Order: sequence, then structure tokens, then C-alpha cells
Amino acid sequence: MQWAIVIAAFLASAVEFVEAFTLVLVAGITVNWRSSIVGALAAVATLAVIIATLGVAIVTYVPLEVLRFVIGFLLLLFGLKWLKNAIQRYSGLKFLHDEEAIYAANLEQARARGETRGTRLDPFGVLLSYKSVLLEGLEVAFIVISFGGGGANGIRYAALGATAAGLLVIIVGAFVQAPLQKVPENTLKFIVGIMLTTFGTFWSGESFGIDWPFSDLFLLLLAALYLAASLLLIWAIRQRQQRVAPATTASEAQMLSQKKEARP
Amino acid sequence: MNVILKVILAVYNFFVGDLVILIGITLTMGILALIHFVDVLAPLRGASGIILIVGVLATLVATLGREVARPENKQKG
Repeated sequence: MQWAIVIAAFLASAVEFVEAFTLVLVAGITVNWRSSIVGALAAVATLAVIIATLGVAIVTYVPLEVLRFVIGFLLLLFGLKWLKNAIQRYSGLKFLHDEEAIYAANLEQARARGETRGTRLDPFGVLLSYKSVLLEGLEVAFIVISFGGGGANGIRYAALGATAAGLLVIIVGAFVQAPLQKVPENTLKFIVGIMLTTFGTFWSGESFGIDWPFSDLFLLLLAALYLAASLLLIWAIRQRQQRVAPATTASEAQMLSQKKEARP
Repeated sequence: MNVILKVILAVYNFFVGDLVILIGITLTMGILALIHFVDVLAPLRGASGIILIVGVLATLVATLGREVARPENKQKG
């Protein structure tokens, strides 16, 4: 199960860190890199404290049965939310996340302040960077803590995955120095949504005494089942959208011609 | 009062942000709890796993169905 925890935490963290990196980049370019990096590091420290205190306290004091129920329940809520958004984006119900557009909008907003670049710590730059990393990282912190459902080691493995993702984004970002728009964010969110839903089902089931066949290996079967169901849903929504589009266009054309005929 | 409501809303949006998902999963967990704790329903315990998976999938279908049924999405193509 450990490898699955590391992968899930790595992918979830990669998505969130890519989003946070866009705003850290904005702060670095419009204000200065010193303020941006200080803000980002402060947010990472805050997140580490949250995970260390809350995570360890939960794993130490809450009985495993209760922990698995609560965490399974929350993971299901969280996982289905991610999965739903990813399916909506794949099927065209929602626009894809565009890091370049977000970057441009935030850059314009920050430049509109009329600040000149300097080397001193700038509160706006620190805060912009801190806020973005903290907000995006909170979901990561929650995911890492929730892997405490797999015992104390679960948090360690999840933290390992999250740290690896964070380092990777920082290294790639430092080389590229541009929004990481080539990262397939929706695909990552789709995979993470399936993994969180799988873990949520598995742990909440165990809390009700369900003895899953093949033990931990059942996680793979569950993931495959949710993947198949999600692909089927994407296909079904796309088909429906294609059927609806011509019908809507036809009815609009009909209304237009009726209006023309009604004119004297 | 306003601040408390804002905090509750922020927590709700952070964890769920979707009423259909919340109701679907709560309902599924409620059914499982009944099967687990009420003796009369003990014969259904063997099917708990299937009920849980079906509940999760039904919730996903329901929440996506609601999105598809939105008027603004009916016009997209």
C-alpha cells in the first residue's frame, strides 16, 4: 500500500505546487525574488507544522477504526470533488486550467500596483507568495494527514511523496522560469481523484468491518473500476453534448427564420 | 455571525463544495452504519462492499448529471 500512498501524495502535491508556483513566479518577477522566496518558504514551514502537529496528534490519539471512518469519509468527499472536476474538464463541461492565463492576469494585477523592483523584502511580495503556497498547500496537507488512515507510516510516506513533488516543481521551475503550462494538470487531477476515491472507499469500508478480497491488492481492482466508470462517464457526456449542440443550433435557426417571416 | 457563516462556508467549500456529493456519501455511510449495527439487517452485511461501491458511483453519476442538466451546459457543445 505504501507505494500507492507515495504516488497519490506525489501527484496531488505536484498539481497544487504547479498552481502555487505560478503565483510565486508572479511575485518574483513583479516584486523581487527575495520576497517571493521568503513568502514561499514561510508557507512551507507553516504547512510542515500543521502536518506535524495535527497529523501526529490524530494518529496518536484517535483509534484506528474511528480514524479510518472519518478519513475514508473525507477522502471520498475530496476524491469525488477532484474526479468530478476532471471529468467535467475532459468532457468539455468546464474549461481546462490555464496556467499561462492565470499568470498573465496576476502579473497585470501586480504590475498595476505601480511598484518598482528592489532587493528589500516587500510585504506585498511576501504575502502574495505566502498566501498562494499556503492555500494551494492546505489541500496537500490535508491529503498527507488523511493518509494517517494507513497508520503513522502512512503520513511519513505521503509526506515523502509531497516533498518529492515540491522539490521537482521547484527545480523544474527554477530552470524554466515560466508558468509550468505543459504539466498535464487535468490528467494528474483525474488520477489523484481516482486514487483518493479508491483509498476513501477502502478505508471507510474497513471501518464498517468489510473484509475486502485479496486484502491491499483490492485497491488496484477498485482503482480500475473507478477508472472504467469515469471513462464511461466522460464518453457519455461527450456524446450527449454532441447531440445537444446541433439540436440547439437548429432550434436557434428555426426561431430566427420564424422571426424573419413574421416581419412585414 | 457573519464571520462564523463565512468560516463554515470556507470549510464546506474546502472539503466538499458540492451538496450532491455530501448527501450521496452521507446517505451511503448511513446505510452501511444501519447494516453494521442493526441486527435485523445482518444478512446484508456480506453485500456491504458492493453497496459502498455502488453508492460512490451513484453519487458521481448524480453530481455529474446535475452539472449536465444545468441550462448553461445544455448550450455547450
